[in-house]
Amino acid sequence: MKKNPFVYYGKKALVFLLSVFILSVAVFYISRLAPGDPLMSYYGERVEKMSVEEKEAARDKLGLNDPIHIQYIRWVENAAKGDFGISFKYKQDVMEVIGQRIGFTLILGGIGFVLTFVGALLLGVLCAWYEDKWVDRILCKGGTLLSCIPEFWLSLVLILVFAVTLHWLPSSGAYDIGYKDDVLNRIEHLILPLIIVVLQHLWYYAYMIRNKLLEETRADYVLLGKSKGLSKKEIMFKHCLRNILPSYISIMAISVPHVVGGTYIVETVFSYPGIGALSYESARYHDYNLLMVLCMMTSILVIFCNLIGQIINEKIDPRIKANEVVETSEVTKV
Amino acid sequence: MDELLKIENLSVGIKSPAGKVQAVRDVSLELHPGEVLAIVGESGCGKSMLCKTIMKLLPKSAKIESGKIIANGVDITNYSDKDMRRLRGKLFSMIFQDPMTALNPTIPIGKQIAEAILVHEPKLPKEEVYNRVIALMELVGIQQPHERYKLYPYNFSGGMRQRSMMAIALAANPKVLLADEPTTALDVTIQAQILDLLKEIQTKLGTATILVSHDLGVVARCADRVAIMYAGKIVEIGTAEEVYYDPRHPYTWGLMQSLPALNKGAKELKTIPGMPPTLIDPPVGDAFACRNEYALEIDYHEQPPMFKITDTHYAATWLLDPRAPKVESPMGGKRNV
Repeated sequence: MKKNPFVYYGKKALVFLLSVFILSVAVFYISRLAPGDPLMSYYGERVEKMSVEEKEAARDKLGLNDPIHIQYIRWVENAAKGDFGISFKYKQDVMEVIGQRIGFTLILGGIGFVLTFVGALLLGVLCAWYEDKWVDRILCKGGTLLSCIPEFWLSLVLILVFAVTLHWLPSSGAYDIGYKDDVLNRIEHLILPLIIVVLQHLWYYAYMIRNKLLEETRADYVLLGKSKGLSKKEIMFKHCLRNILPSYISIMAISVPHVVGGTYIVETVFSYPGIGALSYESARYHDYNLLMVLCMMTSILVIFCNLIGQIINEKIDPRIKANEVVETSEVTKV
Repeated sequence: MDELLKIENLSVGIKSPAGKVQAVRDVSLELHPGEVLAIVGESGCGKSMLCKTIMKLLPKSAKIESGKIIANGVDITNYSDKDMRRLRGKLFSMIFQDPMTALNPTIPIGKQIAEAILVHEPKLPKEEVYNRVIALMELVGIQQPHERYKLYPYNFSGGMRQRSMMAIALAANPKVLLADEPTTALDVTIQAQILDLLKEIQTKLGTATILVSHDLGVVARCADRVAIMYAGKIVEIGTAEEVYYDPRHPYTWGLMQSLPALNKGAKELKTIPGMPPTLIDPPVGDAFACRNEYALEIDYHEQPPMFKITDTHYAATWLLDPRAPKVESPMGGKRNV
């Protein structure tokens, strides 16, 4: 059962590179084959007044007239040198545009992820503790109902209630003009998007924790624990929770892109200036270079997290470790 | 009051979608200090349920419907879970059927044994606990306990795990040990080792033991008294000698006749025809009647009471009624009715 770590990680790396390659080709082709005019994003409204020749010249200048595979090879060559081209819309280096925005997404996604992770754990334990009591029932019913509500609709309702009617919280953006360095102002802007990001996934993971815990509480070792004289609290926390935590952590590793993906929609609804809103824009305006990099970044994150999750999963299976122990110590025979 | 454990007319019902299952029906028995009482019966006759009832480890759907459990002279029938926690491990503890699943897979064996000590003596110094764990591991025959303290259940074979479970069960010096089919999940050679160990520990510590099994042959080597259970009821109870050499209930005869050891030379193994009745709607009369070749008319209408044969030997069969026709036991044995 012993694996060579080089072969093991080599294989994983190969899968990773292959997936990234296939994805880059797919995104490149789809974005260029999709109907629409990239010149719109470069020249804006002026495009409508340009003559056919002028458009043709502009396309030539941007290298959009070559066959797609030539364009792709050129893109890869430049990308290898660290040049990802300029954004048609912002007329800036793509990386610079993303650099200005990514911090916002990391804050929203990061805090959202941590809150989801901790909140789901607490809720799941609470439900499992009061299994079939009213607390559990209300949370289960409410949670299922909540997770069925589309997030964009919920966002709009929250904006309507808290921003439009009550004037408690701002409805969009990351800060008010002139308050760029005001932490409180930024937090105010974060609250509504955060609520949506967390609510979107909270119940899904809480329910998972609840069910995994309940499955554990039905295991035979719980009866043995009880017959030792352990209390419900000791059994729940020292035995059951401890046993499900490793698998929960690997699930959360896989869920990183899930939660981050959620921020994209939320950013769009709240006009929050993160890379989610940016990728939506870039797709809409055919800002090819920007779209390409954003897609690649997201997909690399997704593939990477999935691989990490897989590796954690394989590593925490105690029986793999067991074989190593047997080899090193000879004390396990009867 | 010299009995450690006394059960009076205990009945337990389990709610199920198909109706209420009468898992334990009107069971009475007592356990004296230092003795081994074996409860024998086929799968589903309620013997595990009986053990779990005593420990109050019943699933939520199960309920004690009538009867009393008296432990050490105290009626614990209505004890809450909190009250029971003080007794579990200390007054009685339990060995479970399947050592593969009954130990927590992610906690080292030594720690799991230590936990059982610490529950009842939380202020014990660490070294003292460690020494006690090592002593327990030695007691149940786990060699090299210092090295094995840190090993996980998956490092252990089935027999070693069952030994570990015994160490856990014995950790707080219980007065009563409930062994629920402790050897069923083990292979035959290990079975014998574990039973010998059980008997050895029992003589050494004087722990009263209830040994549950479906195999009359298995309990023969360690039981002082034997109770035969069928369809949730005890049908015969007596000292091992009485039950083995002078069985009175037709069901006990059937069990004995189907022991491979008593079928040497025969072409076919004798078996009891038919299946046990479902306990959702148990028959009005004797539950064994329809499988019983000696069944009398009254067996179908009325349940037989416990007939006294000697001071220690009782059996529930109408055959023992003075009005019943004399039936020669197929097992031979002495008859004095």
